[in-house]
Amino acid sequence: MDNSPKIKRETRNKIRVDFERAPLSERLKAKFLNSFFFKKVIFLIFKLVLLIGVSYVILYPYITKIFASFMSPSDFDDVTVVLISKNPTIDQYRYIIMENDYLLSLLNTFLISASVALIQTLVCALVAYGLAKFKFKGNNVLFLIVIFTMMVPQESIQYAMQRFFLRFGTSTPIGYLLDAVGLIEGGFVNSLAPLYIMSVTGLGFKNGLFIFMLRQFFKGVPDELEESAYVDGSSTFRTFFNIILPISVPMLITVFIFAFAWQWTDEFYASSSSIFYLSSYWSSDEAIKLISNIAKVPPSLQDYNKGGMLQAAISGTASILIVFPLILVYLVVQNKIVEGVERSGIVG
Amino acid sequence: MSLNDQIKRNSYEVKLASDSSESKEYELSVKAVDYAKTPDIRSQIPRGGVKSRLKEQEEARRRRGKMSLLQRRSLSGWLFALPFVFGLLFVYAPIIFTSLKVTFCDIATDGTMTFVGFKYYQQVYTTDPWFPITIWDGLEDLILQIPAIVIFALFMAIILNQKMTGRAAFRAIFFLPVILSTGIIDRLNSQDAFSDAINGSSGTIDTNTGEEAGGIISALDLQQLLGGIKLGAGLVEYVTNLVNNIFDIVSRSGVQMLIFLSGLQSISPSIYESCQVEGASAWETFWKITLPMISPMILVNAVYTVIDLFTCYDNRVMKLMEQALNHGGEYGGTAGGPSVAGVMAWTYIGIVLLFIVIVALILKSFVFYQRRD
Repeated sequence: MDNSPKIKRETRNKIRVDFERAPLSERLKAKFLNSFFFKKVIFLIFKLVLLIGVSYVILYPYITKIFASFMSPSDFDDVTVVLISKNPTIDQYRYIIMENDYLLSLLNTFLISASVALIQTLVCALVAYGLAKFKFKGNNVLFLIVIFTMMVPQESIQYAMQRFFLRFGTSTPIGYLLDAVGLIEGGFVNSLAPLYIMSVTGLGFKNGLFIFMLRQFFKGVPDELEESAYVDGSSTFRTFFNIILPISVPMLITVFIFAFAWQWTDEFYASSSSIFYLSSYWSSDEAIKLISNIAKVPPSLQDYNKGGMLQAAISGTASILIVFPLILVYLVVQNKIVEGVERSGIVG
Repeated sequence: MSLNDQIKRNSYEVKLASDSSESKEYELSVKAVDYAKTPDIRSQIPRGGVKSRLKEQEEARRRRGKMSLLQRRSLSGWLFALPFVFGLLFVYAPIIFTSLKVTFCDIATDGTMTFVGFKYYQQVYTTDPWFPITIWDGLEDLILQIPAIVIFALFMAIILNQKMTGRAAFRAIFFLPVILSTGIIDRLNSQDAFSDAINGSSGTIDTNTGEEAGGIISALDLQQLLGGIKLGAGLVEYVTNLVNNIFDIVSRSGVQMLIFLSGLQSISPSIYESCQVEGASAWETFWKITLPMISPMILVNAVYTVIDLFTCYDNRVMKLMEQALNHGGEYGGTAGGPSVAGVMAWTYIGIVLLFIVIVALILKSFVFYQRRD
């Protein structure tokens, strides 16, 4: 039998091809019963199992917390309750929001985190741009010092930091000036100033990492862009603000989100042994209410707090309440994070 | 020197000297007329040659109080870095200095320091029972965890870099720990009795090892699996620990994954295309293309992982330091807390600095740098 296609010329510009198609079953066989397809399917299954498995590991603590947050105290005594509550209630949320000053903490933390993140992003961008695009004596030394600041854990210099800021008025020329004017009395006690001073000078939490990331990003920006701006008579600072900053928005958003999230969950400045929240030994003022302080058993649930399971559930509920606004922000900008880092082309 | 060169040089000089564009044009035109008037340019060349002329110009510029282009550029660099330099000199340096000074001093209750020499160093290095052991264990943890985190991050980054449905959702989930697993959330998660209880409630006790089979896998299962292959008990334990601490590894590898992803994106697709044309398999492509091209990122990530693990508050050395800070020497009283913690901290920082240098040197010999330009 002749299987070859027959070609007929219909008009000058048109041809017609007639051929016999193989039956459907044959075609399906050829498509799916081969080693190439098997390999593809096996890899896909492997990949999906891995991705879903790891996603499960990441989400697991939050899933259990969400289930536990709706449990009532009686559920903790009932051995048959594992995840799903028999008497679902929103008491945990209600009491934490009402009695642990959730909304006030939320507002305070939001204001502090947003302002600190904004300052840190801007300052780190400035410093990183200076280190990336200008050759000057000491450039490399400065960069090494940036890496060094990243390596010194802030807890290990905690005592020295407290001492420095408590005696700010006598330890630096600026402090001396402020002290003389009467703005501070010897030093900062129970104050937000240390946090902002560290942020403005690019020494805040993980700012070394931000400077590193931004420096790599700016190194990837072609020099021609700035040169053309200089030729047109733009100054270096104007070039930075009008040309460099607008094109690095995804990277800046990434850094902003990191700074925001890490300040949001920060304990260093808000913990009981730190500069904000000094014990009455140094100051009797009440400390500012922050979101990291809400993870405690509210007074109304105190009576039921027997086994420690309720305590665990409450701290879980509190961490859901802490994380929730962050997740909202994250979902809005998460595309930008990946885009920002992908475009940065961080290369060794 | 030709007339053209002369005009070029002069115009360059004018551009540097004048600020507004109007005066530039004016001077240029004057020069042009000058040349037309004086055809003998050789008379204008100074005796010492062009170099001395340049020097003269430099002198003149200095007298007028203007800087050369290079000087201006380096000054701008300093201006941009000014916030950090300022903070370094007036905030960071004093803090670091105090932190070092504290290790050599006794601190009275009112905060005055008296110099005591190496007393606390002696105490920590010779009489402290916990410090050497903790440092050793901490370093062991580091050495075991770094490869796990870097390899896991690379593996996940390669998978997340492939085109597939639901990639955006998976990426969103995978980067969640970067912003969530810090500070208070990290602490609350690590003391989460509730999810442990759920895990444990379905588990039973291993009769052989006496361990609770609460983890994802138990040592017993793995021993049965690996025992036939005659692997050492240490390795079995290592793998079991890794799998059971998968949450820690996942939550600590977010930034690393981002860095790897950016590295993978920067590899030119044409290299992969040519590989395909030459008939290389995916396996060969990974070892011959992806790995060498990504190797600078492996170095960056290894160093970052060391720093991250080392500065994270819940490693055992940091915990010991906190204990020492709050309870003082030998953790009994309250005297000398900051000094003892300071000695520990600076010793630890020194050791880890050394560690990073070693890691960087080892990895550097494997790193492949693509020559650009």
